[in-house]
Amino acid sequence: MAEDNQFLDPKVLSRLMHLPLLARQAMEGSVSGQHKSPHRGSSVEFAEYRNYVPGDDIRRLDWRVFARTDRFFLKEFEAETNLRCYLVLDCSGSMRYGKSGATKLDYACRMAATLGYLAAHQGDAVGLVCAGKKTFFDIPARRNPAHLKVILDTMAKAAPRGETGLLAALHDLAEKVKRRALVVVFSDFFCDLAPLLDCFQHLRFQKHDLALFQLLDRTELDFKFDRPTRFVDLESSFNLVTEPAAIRDEYLRQIWLFLDALREGCHEFAADYRQVVTDQPYEKALADFLVARARLAAGG
Amino acid sequence: MTFLQPFLLWGLPLISVPLIIHLLNRLRHRSHPWGAMRFLVAATRSSVSNTKLRQLLILLCRMAAVAALCLFLARPLAGGWMGWAVSSAPDAIVILLDRSASMEIKTGGVSKREQGIRLLSQAAREFEETSHLVLIDSATLMPEESGRATNLMQLPATGPTDTAADVPSMLRAAINWLIENRAGAAEIWIASDAQRSNWHPDDPRWKDTIGQLGSLTQKVRVRLLILNESGDANTSLSLREMSRRSTAGKSELQFALDLQRNRPGPADIPVTLTLDGVPTETQAVFEGQSLRWRRRVDLGAHPAGGWGSFALPSDANARDNTAFFVYGPETAAHAVVVSHSPDTARFLQMAAAAQSAQPAALMAPVQFPAASLDGCSLVVWQDSLPQGDAAARLRTFASEGGVVLFFPPGAADGAQFNGLGWGAVEASEAPGGFHVLRWNEDEGPLARSEERISLPLGQTEFPRRQVIAGPKNVLAAFEDGSALLARQNLGRGEAYFCASLPTDDWSSLADGPVLVPMLQRLLQDGIRRLQPVSSSICGELSAVDRAATWVSVNSTEPKDIRFQAGIYKSGDRLMAVNRPAAEDDPEIMDSGDIKKLFGDLHLQMLLERKADPGQMQGEIWRLFLFLMLLLLLAEGLLILPAKRPRKANEAATMKPAAQPKEQMV
Repeated sequence: MAEDNQFLDPKVLSRLMHLPLLARQAMEGSVSGQHKSPHRGSSVEFAEYRNYVPGDDIRRLDWRVFARTDRFFLKEFEAETNLRCYLVLDCSGSMRYGKSGATKLDYACRMAATLGYLAAHQGDAVGLVCAGKKTFFDIPARRNPAHLKVILDTMAKAAPRGETGLLAALHDLAEKVKRRALVVVFSDFFCDLAPLLDCFQHLRFQKHDLALFQLLDRTELDFKFDRPTRFVDLESSFNLVTEPAAIRDEYLRQIWLFLDALREGCHEFAADYRQVVTDQPYEKALADFLVARARLAAGG
Repeated sequence: MTFLQPFLLWGLPLISVPLIIHLLNRLRHRSHPWGAMRFLVAATRSSVSNTKLRQLLILLCRMAAVAALCLFLARPLAGGWMGWAVSSAPDAIVILLDRSASMEIKTGGVSKREQGIRLLSQAAREFEETSHLVLIDSATLMPEESGRATNLMQLPATGPTDTAADVPSMLRAAINWLIENRAGAAEIWIASDAQRSNWHPDDPRWKDTIGQLGSLTQKVRVRLLILNESGDANTSLSLREMSRRSTAGKSELQFALDLQRNRPGPADIPVTLTLDGVPTETQAVFEGQSLRWRRRVDLGAHPAGGWGSFALPSDANARDNTAFFVYGPETAAHAVVVSHSPDTARFLQMAAAAQSAQPAALMAPVQFPAASLDGCSLVVWQDSLPQGDAAARLRTFASEGGVVLFFPPGAADGAQFNGLGWGAVEASEAPGGFHVLRWNEDEGPLARSEERISLPLGQTEFPRRQVIAGPKNVLAAFEDGSALLARQNLGRGEAYFCASLPTDDWSSLADGPVLVPMLQRLLQDGIRRLQPVSSSICGELSAVDRAATWVSVNSTEPKDIRFQAGIYKSGDRLMAVNRPAAEDDPEIMDSGDIKKLFGDLHLQMLLERKADPGQMQGEIWRLFLFLMLLLLLAEGLLILPAKRPRKANEAATMKPAAQPKEQMV
């Protein structure tokens, strides 16, 4: 399947395969997996001892400890379960920015597809939300390996047009997904900051692990244009003729104010925020992301 | 501002190049799809005013830098004297130098004349290669070309004189030179102390002169250097009146001298009287700034005739410290009245009676050519103006120093005497007839008496008058401006025209208080015809006297009677030459009045209070070079980005937001 899909690069997959996609918090799954569960019970991973209270199953008493101490202790084990990973793609018009075949959405799809592949490969359930005012797909998370093909095919159909539907999609996702899940958002987040942070708060309130990839084009960050330009809005018919050199400083000030505020907001809501410039290899962005999570899970 | 390479000013339109580039740059915009439009709109909204101002400043800096480059390459010349008018180097520069006696007052040891010629020659140095330099001085009015500007200071025509200046005549001489030499674009540079008596602001010649300057085919600019520094402490002295009186066998000279100081406050000034080479000193006591000082000098051992002078100690102006006089032997003179009308002539005969109380002789006009004029100093002519031999005889009489006084014949005729004639007879129906409004009380036959009492000319009634036609020097005028008494110089003497008769139907002149002193003064003035001595004003010598050879008596050094005051001798004739009394007049023209005189003519004026030659003229390309560099520096600073919010490269390193562990669930 990886060889057939435009968003999956076998070389990248082979290099990333050894890195697990781990949640930063306990997950609630329906089957056993490699993610921590909030539930305790019988498993192979020892968790702790606790005093016996009436009603506990006497079969879980540790008789050896009783023999040594003459006191009743129950031995508890950590449950390990599977992960629900929701990949959210912003399909607004601004995600169309970039060279043909290397738009921000293309970049986002490659990252999302790779992550989805890795999750499916380690037995986690993967879902997809394509959030756009004019384009909206919502594919629930499933563990079925064949489900990944559905997700990849849906990504291929996603077309970035019009204003963003990200805010509504995130609120909807927070309400709809009852169990804890890993929500990975791929967007440029070019929308009003306050309602966006409300979305993040909503997701965190529902105890979802939130990972944000902000995708930015290099020209959006350095704004290097050498002559008067008519800028045509990708999300509407609005256009503006201006002298870029004249407003460059102010533009950079404005965008960095926004980025700093977004970073602060993510920090406040404990979202895993990552800024990615699309001229960088997405493999590195994903590797950093996975390694950081693995270290966190290992307590590093 | 003047330019040595004016053709390079054609490059000035290049200042529009930055503007054109700017506009073209704005026109060649391209379309670009854009996602982060919200930041673009916010940036445009908040930075539009600052950015536009900055862009405008950048544009102005670039345009001004191009302009400065063009001006720098054109090698501009400027200074306080030259002003900022843009012009090319003129073909000719006519320098008009005021050499009047008042220009000799010194400040810090340098006279106004020296300062003026120094500043002008320094300014002219820049034009030595490109322009003709012509000097016209106030004393000679003769144009003199000078190849080098530095030579101006060595020219005799820039030396000191005791003459007055006549600025309208100097301008006229400049115009004549420009016309005769067919000069191209020209500039007239004037250096003067703006003394009102030299500028004659009320003179009708101004209008004609300025009109002619404006109508010249070539472009003429006038630059005026006003040397109006008041100068160091100075006292001037001038001889106003002098007469010889003999009573009871004793002969004495009576003098009235005017002393004037340019500093206020009382002072005792020593005055040295030199009579025939023997000096005596007395004190003139000042209580204010001016003093009319009267002296009587007993001739004693010098009854026949001689010369003398009054002198002040050396001060800021050496030219106004001495007044010269000559006196002749006691001479009896008489007058002749020529008239057809004995009734009219009777008053004139009585008024012009000699000291012996003998009435003046009466004769008919036809008798005059053959009549003897021995011992005669005044001819009173009351008839149609003389023609032929009679006119020639009268001219000769006046040229010798005699005085001719014409009264109206009562009817108009076309005859003229020395350019003057009789016009229509006018009668006034107003009670008291015509009234005299103003007359010269300082000098002439209608001047105040020794006791400073004015003649009662204002109370004299003139029911009838006959208009004096022709250009004239008016000594007394009626309310409507028509002349009562006019004068024309004629050789050493003068011809007077009086517009009314001393008869009841013409005027109340016959009452005597005006007519008698007038005729007696003219009788005394004419005595110079009979004496071997005379007085003259420096610069106003008659043609007859100018033609004679004069030797200085009071100085061992040779002096030029045309330009220098002193005692001169020609044969057995003595002459005292003094600078014009008006040179002591402290009244200065203000700049507004001077501008009015020049009307619409292009005039630039420099009030040179401080003697700084650097202000006059000099190449100022360094200034424009510096200005251009300054503008480019300013442009460079303006195009620098104010500050970078953050380097865009920072975004390339993917930094996750700090994850507070305590918030992890």
